[in-house]
Amino acid sequence: MAEKKIAVRSQDPGQRRVLDSATRQRRLTRQLEALEKDNFQDDPHASLPQLVKRLPQFDESNESSKRRKKTRGDHFKQRFRKNFQTLLEEEDLSVSEGPNYLTACAEPSKFPQRHFCAVCGFPSNYTCVSCGSRYCCVRCLGTHHETRCLKWTV
Amino acid sequence: MTTLVLDNGAYFAKIGYSHEKVSVIPNSQFRSKTSRLKTFTANQLDEIKDPSGLFYILPFQKGYLVNWDVQRKVWDHLFGKEMFKVDFADTNIVITEPYFNFTSIQESMNEILFEEYQFQSALRINAGSLSAHRYFHEKNSELCCIVVDSGFSFTHIIPYCRGRKMKEGICRINVGGKLLTNHLKETISYRQLHVMDETHVINQVKEDVCYVSQDFYKDMEIAQFKGEDNMVMKDYVLPDFSSIKKGFCKPREEMNFTGKYKTGEQILRLTNERFAVPEMLFHPSDIGIQEMGIPEALVNSINNMPEDMQSHFYKNIVLTGGNTLFPGFRDRVYKEVRALAPVEYEVSVVLPQNPICYPWEGGKLLAENPDFEEMVVTRDDYEENGHYVCEEKFDI
Ligand SMILES: Nc1ncnc2c1ncn2[C@@H]1O[C@H](COP(=O)(O)OP(=O)(O)O)[C@@H](O)[C@H]1O
Ligand SMILES: [Mg+2]
Ligand SMILES: [Zn+2]
Ligand SMILES: [Zn+2]
Repeated sequence: MAEKKIAVRSQDPGQRRVLDSATRQRRLTRQLEALEKDNFQDDPHASLPQLVKRLPQFDESNESSKRRKKTRGDHFKQRFRKNFQTLLEEEDLSVSEGPNYLTACAEPSKFPQRHFCAVCGFPSNYTCVSCGSRYCCVRCLGTHHETRCLKWTV
Repeated sequence: MTTLVLDNGAYFAKIGYSHEKVSVIPNSQFRSKTSRLKTFTANQLDEIKDPSGLFYILPFQKGYLVNWDVQRKVWDHLFGKEMFKVDFADTNIVITEPYFNFTSIQESMNEILFEEYQFQSALRINAGSLSAHRYFHEKNSELCCIVVDSGFSFTHIIPYCRGRKMKEGICRINVGGKLLTNHLKETISYRQLHVMDETHVINQVKEDVCYVSQDFYKDMEIAQFKGEDNMVMKDYVLPDFSSIKKGFCKPREEMNFTGKYKTGEQILRLTNERFAVPEMLFHPSDIGIQEMGIPEALVNSINNMPEDMQSHFYKNIVLTGGNTLFPGFRDRVYKEVRALAPVEYEVSVVLPQNPICYPWEGGKLLAENPDFEEMVVTRDDYEENGHYVCEEKFDI
């Protein structure tokens, strides 16, 4: 089939490294996590002199507040500076009865997986031997090799 | 006594007194490259003349309220003299929270509403429950409805029967407007122009050019055509925030299919991105999220309901939340549910006039309802009985 031919012609398995499935999974997870980010750039205030208050950080040490007398506000900060993952773990849903956050997640689809070229986004019939990404033509495969494929590190 | 209705979304706060109109206000803070000393809150966004590279500070993470410092800044602003001038001693609040909210978040919420702000009474409720209330108010002969709420963080499908939330049927798809915008941003950055720092601008591009395809593979074919035959292709003129304040699509007759534009405008050329991005709501597995899309999840959720109710759900599907505004959204949901549902059932999918504010409208109606007093927890009640009374009273 065409898939084989192209694969043999443009990628010599003896030369190109092949990513194992754990690495491929890590890549996918990282890609999906990136889609949850609020910002990709740095906080424009981060590079400013001390004067300016920084973005609240969950892991910010409480050194300065320890020195002051504890106020209601401090109580708030400590109790309420938890990220999503911590809150989810604290909720301890494994012991809860009935539907909950975890059980409510949609099940996998019963429809077959669809495949799109990682470069141009059009339907694809071929899989990159090295990394498992999809591509639609030799040209896109070339672009893929040059830009992502093994160049992406996890 | 007045009642403030606040649908506290992760992206927009939909807020207003029950006897007035609703306002839609960003529920976040912002920082800009050009005003390097100020943090802008909520609708102060409008004061930023050049929002390129806009930096977001959001109170929510994955749809749950975690960053209380930020949330309180936004609320202080909304409740304060610049906006709603709330007289807490004389005001009740109806406020929304996500499905399966965490106990500690609920308790923080109680404390802040009753102890910090000191509202006279409060009703915590899911936005979908308000939508269901709004729906049954208009269609009072219907017994059931199934609400789709597709907002910033995720999409929920929630069956309601006679105002009762059917917990076993609730389904969450982890695809929302944020993911769509970020995905569009990545795609554009990889294929043509680095826009990773331009969430604000690309979010607008998404709302201006994306649509839900009615025939996905057909549109894929069209989007591959060269030149004028490519009816999917659009050129989007990016804002420069001096002469072009807002981005827009080039009118088709001004599009240059053969070469580059001579004008100095910065252009994005969009083809399959236009419909492949919203497609994530229908096929999350396209980007590796192994979950059902909206129509399949709807049918699955209805199948989990008692059989005698199923036909009622199929003819009362209600679409709410910002993502349902993509052109073609309603028709696609109808088409796919129709194809999956048993032929003998009637299928009806309703897209309200304002799907973003539909829950708020339900909250307004609820506040005017004679039973409202029975539903709220008063401050006295809370002071006497604490979190327990809220847990008992709220269907949450
Ligand atoms: N016309 C539109 N087309 C597509 N998406 C839209 C449109 N208007 C708003 N949105 C998106 O809807 C989301 C906000 O919807 P909303 O229901 O208010 O969410 P939430 O309640 O989570 O804040 C945002 O991601 C926004 O980009
Ligand atoms: Mg919402
Ligand atoms: Zn391709
Ligand atoms: Zn590869």
